[in-house]
Amino acid sequence: MIANDLLKGTLRTIVLKLLADNGRMYGYEITKKVEELSTGKIKLTFGALYPVLHKLEADGHISTEVEYIGKRVRKYYTLTETGRTWTEQKVDEFFDFVNTLSYVLKPTPA
Amino acid sequence: MIAAVIDDNYERIKSDLVRLGLSYDRLIDDMLDHVCCMVEEQMHGGEDFESSYNQVLDSIGEKRLPEIQHQTLLNLDKKFQHMKNFTYIFGLSSAILTILGSFFKRMHWPGAGIMITVGMVLIVLVFLPLYFISNHREQLEKKNPLYAIVGYLTIALLLAGATFKIQHWPGAGYLIYSSIGFILIGFIPLYVVNVFQRSGKEKANLPYIVMLLVGIACVMLIGNINMSKDLLNVYLDESISNQERVEQVQERTASLLELAGDSAYSDHLANISRIHDQARDLQVMISGMQEGMISFVGQPGVSIEEVKGKDNKNAGREAILDNGAGSAFIREAKQFASMLDELVKDEVANSQIEDHLEFTSLVWDFEHGWDGVRDSPLMKNYFKNTDAAKGIALAEYAAIAYLLHL
Repeated sequence: MIANDLLKGTLRTIVLKLLADNGRMYGYEITKKVEELSTGKIKLTFGALYPVLHKLEADGHISTEVEYIGKRVRKYYTLTETGRTWTEQKVDEFFDFVNTLSYVLKPTPA
Repeated sequence: MIAAVIDDNYERIKSDLVRLGLSYDRLIDDMLDHVCCMVEEQMHGGEDFESSYNQVLDSIGEKRLPEIQHQTLLNLDKKFQHMKNFTYIFGLSSAILTILGSFFKRMHWPGAGIMITVGMVLIVLVFLPLYFISNHREQLEKKNPLYAIVGYLTIALLLAGATFKIQHWPGAGYLIYSSIGFILIGFIPLYVVNVFQRSGKEKANLPYIVMLLVGIACVMLIGNINMSKDLLNVYLDESISNQERVEQVQERTASLLELAGDSAYSDHLANISRIHDQARDLQVMISGMQEGMISFVGQPGVSIEEVKGKDNKNAGREAILDNGAGSAFIREAKQFASMLDELVKDEVANSQIEDHLEFTSLVWDFEHGWDGVRDSPLMKNYFKNTDAAKGIALAEYAAIAYLLHL
């Protein structure tokens, strides 16, 4: 399990990257995908997911399509054009951050 | 098959979600689908709808849904997000301004007063209200606003008091005392209760860091609070009158020395000049320390009246303690005192001299010694030096007059 405070800042990037790789996804699918990709180490709860999705939508980075599954509505989220470039930026930033961290945290041979 | 069962229970699931606290349509759609998916998954494991659904409801719990909705709506509230960002940027910059001002004050550079005042006004009138308001809005379960109000009044009064004190404005004392009152009877009890109530729920984050910086600004300010201007002026006046007295006494001593040149007093001449030489050495040491203090605050050669850093606490430390000038002076002054004690046999004259040289005694040392120098502002240390100079001049005069049988 990865600690929540480590995840906090990267949640948005994770969601964006998943959408970039998988096209359109719905909320439950995203949580499952994260669990699968992280071999269960990251549990993305709906409590953390939906506030982020709604914020991303409000900021114009993702858009929604609605489909009916029986009576209920399923909302598929997709990246918009601006969202796509933004995602690349965020993912680059993240790897940059991880690389920098690994320099800092790796013990250097004397 | 499973899909059909879930469809049959659609209305029930929806009304359960609403009952648990959801009201925002778009979030209800998301959560409804999510919950249905969770139930489907359970049912694929072979369980029936009822037990699957109950397990899912249990895993959601009572309080989570309103929290999620609150968080989502806050995320979408652009005005609130702007206000929050504005608050932090504002807090950060006014804290930095104040810390910088305190640093300027310490270095006695110009502009310190205005920086501290502006920084404090911004913190008290803009940052703190915004902070408490946005903090209050962020909470789902609204805490008693009393917390925020007491917290605000305490911090605001304390900061205002510190600023008033530094700027030497009247009323500082009342502000500081009332804020201490607020801390003791309001803030501390409420804060302790609050911490216990939410222990484990929240972690340190930006607000705490900003508050910490504001706190540091506060501590630095209070560290700068020194003696009041009035008291500094009293010491200044006394120092000047001491210096005038020294000059008068030294003139009188000079005429005594002329007299001693007469052959009638030739047997005392050697002792008289020993006394005079030592007294002069001591006076030189004193003016050395005084010049040291004045040049420490950046204005060498300026008279004490024109020095701006009269409340500087490092000047005495540097010019008297650190370079050993103070202890060398006291050592010589003690020798001077015991020399006079040997030469002057008359008890009355002797006790007069002792009074003048009181600063060399142990009692005086204990009461006004090194600790006093370390913690006193420049003006007070300067005053003590002029007092010692006056004592030396008077003792010198009294001893020489005694030897001349006047």
